[in-house]
Amino acid sequence: MVAASQHPNITLMTYSEVEEVGGYVGNFRVKIRQKAKSVNHDLCTGCGICWEKCPNTILNEYNQGLNLRKAIYIRFPQAVPNKPVIDRENCRQFQMDGKCGVCKEVCQAGAIDYEQQDLILEEEFGSIVVATGFDLFAWEKAYGEYGYGKYPDVISGLQFERMSNSSGPTEGKILRPSDGKEPQRVVFIKCVGSRDDAKGKSYCSKVCCMYTAKHAHQVLEKIEGSEVYVFYIDVRTPGKGYEEFYRHSLEEGALYIRGRVSNIIPKNSSLIVRGEDTLLGRQVEVEADLVVLATAMTPSYGSDAVARMIGIGTDKDGFFEEAHPKLRPVECHTAGVYLAGTCQGVKDIPDTVSQASGSAVKVCALFSVDERELDPLTSSVNESICSGCSTCVLVCPFKAIEIKTVTERFYGQTLQRQVAAVNEALCQGCGTCTAACRSGAINLKGFTNEQILAEVKAACL
Amino acid sequence: MKRVGVFICHCGSNISAVVDVNSVAEAAKKIPNVAYVTHYKYMCSDPGQEEIVKAVNEHNLNRVVVASCSPRLHEPTFQKTLQRAGLNPYLLEIANIREQCSWVHSKFKDLATAKAIALIRMMVAKAAENVPLLRPSVYIRKKALVIGGGIAGMQAALDIADAGYPVVLVERDNTIGGKMAMLDKTFPTLDCSA
Repeated sequence: MVAASQHPNITLMTYSEVEEVGGYVGNFRVKIRQKAKSVNHDLCTGCGICWEKCPNTILNEYNQGLNLRKAIYIRFPQAVPNKPVIDRENCRQFQMDGKCGVCKEVCQAGAIDYEQQDLILEEEFGSIVVATGFDLFAWEKAYGEYGYGKYPDVISGLQFERMSNSSGPTEGKILRPSDGKEPQRVVFIKCVGSRDDAKGKSYCSKVCCMYTAKHAHQVLEKIEGSEVYVFYIDVRTPGKGYEEFYRHSLEEGALYIRGRVSNIIPKNSSLIVRGEDTLLGRQVEVEADLVVLATAMTPSYGSDAVARMIGIGTDKDGFFEEAHPKLRPVECHTAGVYLAGTCQGVKDIPDTVSQASGSAVKVCALFSVDERELDPLTSSVNESICSGCSTCVLVCPFKAIEIKTVTERFYGQTLQRQVAAVNEALCQGCGTCTAACRSGAINLKGFTNEQILAEVKAACL
Repeated sequence: MKRVGVFICHCGSNISAVVDVNSVAEAAKKIPNVAYVTHYKYMCSDPGQEEIVKAVNEHNLNRVVVASCSPRLHEPTFQKTLQRAGLNPYLLEIANIREQCSWVHSKFKDLATAKAIALIRMMVAKAAENVPLLRPSVYIRKKALVIGGGIAGMQAALDIADAGYPVVLVERDNTIGGKMAMLDKTFPTLDCSA
């Protein structure tokens, strides 16, 4: 993280979103909104007095709701940049007509700026790497048998990670959210939202088997005398050193039960986990102190808007579609746009890093030339018969057609009229406009009406 | 004058086990504008491509139809072959007699052979209408945008930046690091993630 922020060739824009993407390979025009941080980062020293004194507290999303944060905040101690922003929606200064101002008062550097506005930056880029990542499947909305999120001691794998992380809400201790006690018996349930056509996604989320094995190891390592039960459908460990890692957690004492959990019922302060052991062919019941769900990866929220903005196809689950599943796994159908990481499909960290480096190489290869040849199979307009009706402009999926004004002489008079004009760099040669053109003025080079009719005639011989 | 060369590929036995390539070649000779016909076991191989270059020069061909697999696979290959033979790459047409013929009609050899002839006849007629096309080129601005500051975005940005190109890394949250920075340790080596 620090390497990325300190690299002289990298301009880091956090708290920013891409709003508009136009143009084409080599010449993308991009509008980026830098959201108002309400803190001048040039002056801020990151001392932390502002968030210490801030009187407003809200649920900490970064810690998965396991503790509270202030309205002026940094995400975690090693955050990059290590300077706060004000969450205006939850700040008294902004929500109660300026009736607070504590952070401004305590800030020694004079960095707090309530007047700061969003900045819109427009820049041109030769290439775009999309790495919008993933979110977790919202199990609370789908799995009634696990309590729809009603039981505080049924948590997600990411909540477990935050607890286990020494900069998290419990400073690295694994505790029950309900009473803050250390759990003795922990149950893990795999494939929550994955491999489940009825309630979740049909795909295997790929990383859950391994992170559950890691969680099992962490419980057994951190809590003396603890017991770990893992309910699973299959154990999938295809990766370097993965099977050995899983074996290690078995040897440490994790007990794997093959079968699904049918329901979780609270009993006093613990939870009764009922399921089936399909290897023994009988019902099992485990009284657990903590239940951890291995939820599936899904595309990051808002990634559909990014896909529409740039013109990336998505698959049935919303993951970005690569140009070819085997031979062009980091490219998109839009030239000059490359994919990296889980926005393209579920993957673990080694695969993500490999794909990111792959897309970087594609960008560098594109940048190694000053000009790039394009496919000439694009639409062309016969201006003499184009009526300027704009139908083609409306149907073009690549926004490649514009209306332009031409001047021509007609019986001694100078006339101006409107005709369609195709941007060859944007046109992908799909032919939609040629089918829609009522006057037959647009032809697709390489697939002209004459060529297609010649084919038809030959077929009818 | 249009002088079309037809090159029929056996694709090992992918095509020739179903389609009778000899009778296809005989029939192709009778198609209007066809000046040369041959068939070969692997048209995409080095000697196969040389066959095309040699025939274009020796028989003064100005259009080429390759009857083989889908153009998605080898159209770029044969376009380069035409360029080596001194022809514009867009004077090439591919008749797909594998995916659209031998593979899907393997139980009907006679009909598949007739269909292969018809597909070649269509592409010869189209090729006769082909005109040379020039590839336009665009200027490449050497600056990259990376959307997302998780491990994937950071890695891509660092690699591009290390190669000497400027990168803008855009992240919607107020810190980079993404999901990976939330994790404790990472499998299988249990090293830290931040």
